[in-house]
Amino acid sequence: MAPYAFRLALQSLIREKWINLLSILTIASGLLVISVTLFAAYNIDAATRRLPEKFSMILYLEDNTPQDRLESIMTALRKKRAVSSVRFISKDEAIKELRGLLKNSNYVFEGLDENPLPDSIEVKLKKEAVTAEAVKKISEEAQTIKGIKEVDYGEKFLAAIHSVRSGVTTIGIVLIAIISAGIIFVCYSTVKILFYRRSDEIETFKLLGATKTFIRLPFLIEGGIIGASGGLATLLGVMMFYYIVIARLSAAIPLLSTLLFPRTVFLSLPLIGLFLGITGAAIAIGRLRY
Amino acid sequence: MTVDSSIMISFSTASKEYDNQTALRDITFMVEKGEMVFITGPSGSGKTTLLKLIYSAERPDSGHISVAGWDINNLKESTIPLLRRHIGVVFQDFRLLANRNIFDNVAMALRIRGAAEREIKTKVYESLKSVGLRHKSDSYPRNLSGGEQQRVVIARATVAEPNLLLADEPTGNLDADTAEGVMRIFKNINAKGTTIMIATHNKELYRNTGKKVIRLDSGNLVDVGKG
Repeated sequence: MAPYAFRLALQSLIREKWINLLSILTIASGLLVISVTLFAAYNIDAATRRLPEKFSMILYLEDNTPQDRLESIMTALRKKRAVSSVRFISKDEAIKELRGLLKNSNYVFEGLDENPLPDSIEVKLKKEAVTAEAVKKISEEAQTIKGIKEVDYGEKFLAAIHSVRSGVTTIGIVLIAIISAGIIFVCYSTVKILFYRRSDEIETFKLLGATKTFIRLPFLIEGGIIGASGGLATLLGVMMFYYIVIARLSAAIPLLSTLLFPRTVFLSLPLIGLFLGITGAAIAIGRLRY
Repeated sequence: MTVDSSIMISFSTASKEYDNQTALRDITFMVEKGEMVFITGPSGSGKTTLLKLIYSAERPDSGHISVAGWDINNLKESTIPLLRRHIGVVFQDFRLLANRNIFDNVAMALRIRGAAEREIKTKVYESLKSVGLRHKSDSYPRNLSGGEQQRVVIARATVAEPNLLLADEPTGNLDADTAEGVMRIFKNINAKGTTIMIATHNKELYRNTGKKVIRLDSGNLVDVGKG
């Protein structure tokens, strides 16, 4: 039965080529929006995942903190579970680093007779501890340690990163859900039209003794092929965009070369299309009655 | 209700209404296996409805019907295709698929049954040969005359060798000679043991045949006699 169902599906795809082509392009457009969303979400996620490794807290010390006090502060910090490393930065090292960073703007340091920077301790946290809440808690605890004047941990920056991440995820999920529903609707409408156009034929099949599976299978296959073709068209479009457009633009805009291509996700686009197509077709056929 | 194994069709006070209009009322008759039976009556007498009840396109509102041992009243929806595979139907409106050639139209009856392509090829050509249309296998229905289309429908109805063949006005649109040819085909099929039930208003078809004739009028069975 299955080979014949494939034959019927292919015959219908060819016979109704324009409506099917239109559906494939519509699905491809929808999947393209999903792909762009996934591409953006994937890259934002990847970028923000790398940030915790670079994240550090700076604990500014009171002036003239004695060596034994400094040792005890550092020991206390090392004992904290979330802390991965602790490094003392003397005020001289700090100004040296600053001068290195601002070597093109040396005028900033003109007229400075003495080093205004305080001694500090750089605390790096374990990757899993870099969340806005955890960092805030550690900062508050650090501020209670005697000898620490101020804690700087880029509070707003950290909160912004987390809100960007969760925002992108939420928008991505909503967008993907809406567009997936749209794609299912396109497949539903297409198969429904094809079903109506062939209603006489289906009625004859029923009268000749065709089972529901015999009648349904070609439509499910057709819906699946339409969905999968849409997915394939999107995959080709996305690959061309990434490997040709982004690759060429990277020469002019180096930042683009850091973008990541979630190959596995994109390779599954035809499968996603197949699933959405079959779902739409199944809803369109509905319950057959004899 | 037990059914005699020699009985192909059994109607017992079966009735059918459409929108409070009686189509058939208290119909009772039996058809034995291998019989050739005519149902006759004027237009609107209920001939087509009676055939539809047999192949379960309609269900009786009351009474009881059994066909080839199947209890039509209690037939599950999923079993209807299996019943229909035992019945070949020559529809009044032919129901040929316009976008498929004659071979595919006839083959459909076998494809639905899941037959292998090799078997389909042999049986379809045999069937088309039996109705004298082997040479038209690549043609499309629109290129065939009414009589030829009628014969294609007979080929489709018989290709799967059903136990029962139903024909609804099979000669309705045919001239006398072509109608005679169609009847000859039916007689040949019946001679091989297939039970045949023909609904017709054409008295010439059953006159002097000696076959059972069921007469309907306004949904009532008025007489069961011999032609």
